[in-house]
Amino acid sequence: MSTVTAKAPVFPSFEQVCQGFAGQITQLREMAPKPTLSDSVRVRRAIDTLIAETNADEAVWLESCIRCGQCTNACHYFQATGDSKYAPMRKMNLYRKVYQREIGPFRWWYKLVTSEVKLKDLEDLQELVYDSCSECGRCAMVCPMGIDTASLVHHQRSALVAAELVPPELDALRMEQKHYGTVFGASADVLRKMIDTIREKSGVDIPLDRPQAEIMVLSSAVDLMGNGNGLLATARVMNHLGVDWTICSDGFESANFGLLSGDMSLWKKQVDPIVAAAQRIGAKTLVIAECGHAYPALRWNPMLKSGALPFEMMYMSEFMGRHAKAGRLRLSPLKGKVTFHDPCKTGRRGGAFDEPRAVLKAMGTDLVEMPANKEFNWCCGGGAGIFLLERATHLRDESFKIKMQQVNMSGADTVVVSCASCRLNFEAGRQKNHWDKRVESLVELVADHLIDEKKVGSVTPIQGAAA
Amino acid sequence: MTLLDFARGPAIHWSLIILIAGTIWRLLGVLVLTRGADLSRPRDAFGNFKGYRTVFSRAWPSGEFTTATRYQTAMAYVFHIATLIVVIGIVPHIEFITGLTGLSWPGLPNAAGVAVGVIALVSLLALIMRRVSKPAIYCSTWGDYFAWVVIAAPLVTGLMAFAHLGPRYETMLAIHILSVALLFAWFPFGKLMHAFWFVFSRAQSGVAYAHKGVRI
Repeated sequence: MSTVTAKAPVFPSFEQVCQGFAGQITQLREMAPKPTLSDSVRVRRAIDTLIAETNADEAVWLESCIRCGQCTNACHYFQATGDSKYAPMRKMNLYRKVYQREIGPFRWWYKLVTSEVKLKDLEDLQELVYDSCSECGRCAMVCPMGIDTASLVHHQRSALVAAELVPPELDALRMEQKHYGTVFGASADVLRKMIDTIREKSGVDIPLDRPQAEIMVLSSAVDLMGNGNGLLATARVMNHLGVDWTICSDGFESANFGLLSGDMSLWKKQVDPIVAAAQRIGAKTLVIAECGHAYPALRWNPMLKSGALPFEMMYMSEFMGRHAKAGRLRLSPLKGKVTFHDPCKTGRRGGAFDEPRAVLKAMGTDLVEMPANKEFNWCCGGGAGIFLLERATHLRDESFKIKMQQVNMSGADTVVVSCASCRLNFEAGRQKNHWDKRVESLVELVADHLIDEKKVGSVTPIQGAAA
Repeated sequence: MTLLDFARGPAIHWSLIILIAGTIWRLLGVLVLTRGADLSRPRDAFGNFKGYRTVFSRAWPSGEFTTATRYQTAMAYVFHIATLIVVIGIVPHIEFITGLTGLSWPGLPNAAGVAVGVIALVSLLALIMRRVSKPAIYCSTWGDYFAWVVIAAPLVTGLMAFAHLGPRYETMLAIHILSVALLFAWFPFGKLMHAFWFVFSRAQSGVAYAHKGVRI
């Protein structure tokens, strides 16, 4: 499919990366911290967190559900399993109980007629708000009351952080990021080494820690610890555009396990250095790597007053899309039928629909859409950290079948994603199901189709029967 | 005091007081809470206002969900419209409203009133049958069934009173009015409040997504 002749790849293929991650994830479970507080304190902290995070928006949504059941039509986990407990409306039941007992206008009554929340209730909640909700927001598209269940689920994740009930894989990474500032060990040293490797093996320069730059680019742990192709591709695109860019070693990580787990103090701890670095170097644009949840962590976080910041934040697909629209990306044709999977966090919950499609069109692609696309796109099933949870394997596998069906119905032989988490999930699903489709990252695809650049380094290996 | 006097007098008046006071209490209890500001920069400077469209657009499911929600949407519309017509369209109801407010308008012929009442009841049965037959989808609570009974009761008793079925007319009429009193009195406490919440709930989500340039 690619018009570029492949040379010896610098980095392992994404297929190999995906397999490597599976081993690392197993170790995470063993590293997870054990609860230290008493049961009653854990319950109290969860309740206090929900009370603190409940504003009028949440209260109205909790009041509004009429249990009409329509959200079940939208949820991939419910549709894939038919199991009542995964109905989106059930995912707010415990929150509503706390709300009714502690905040609602009839709280004195509900305190009389409802039982107290127990640790067991919170333990049961874990599966509903972590394993079986990727906060994709699709149920908000069908709810006749317009309830945004994903937001309510996120608050409950915060409550479970307070109750020391984060699933082990997410908790291990949360603790690593909290205490060491790294994810999978991706430290500033690892970044430097990766940049050196890229320079040596592929001759592509990555400007690190320049004192001033127009554009600050973020990387991600997936890039640094497994697939250097993502960072290499990013560098090739930036260099092709000839923009004034840099990566800052004191603020380079897109992945935010604070947001993923619901630990908003860690969220802030991760975001602050990035914002500070961007301001220090006088950046006009902050480009977020293909790491879906990093987009809401930075661009859309309601607590980050981005209107007052001197720089604009955008996702990699948005950045490339704007340059493609302006005709600055010169790309060789991409043959075959291609469909684009909108990651929940950049699509329905982010609004970056046109830009990635503009990039694909700039490659003269025969772009076909899945039956449910853009704001109606089905989640791949691995978002919001669920890809990491071993316990959620069945849910992920079953819901991925919906996604495969959608791609198959589009007639495409390649599905392009723009999110490392989606990509890992697609790749795992492709391997498990011996699926005859190619799964590509948008930025790597663009890098492989750049014209006028000395072609060295990796080309995405051709995989599967469709290639 | 006869049962009918009680129903027409203290029962309906107190239920109206509970309806109004309870509704105001519940609405205020929620709406006085602070609203968390979204400090992030909107995709379009004035894009957020577009979100209010959701209050109206969500009145009908989007094409993506038309097939899946067809039965319920159709039945819910039939029920709401038929009930509204019965509530404000038949002569005894208009006379009751005139007694309270002084306002008056021409009523429907009796046969039409009965027909619409039957349609409302049938659609309500169609909805509860679906709820009962698909427990995994609805996750029903006792509140759902209670609300159904509270809504169905005035329809059933009203039709019975009109058709002179059951006890003598005055008793049946009293039971009908008492069932309406129960509906009024229950309204602020259960899910019937969605009659108010839908505006706020849809608007909030519409604006939150419009902020990001997404039309829901």
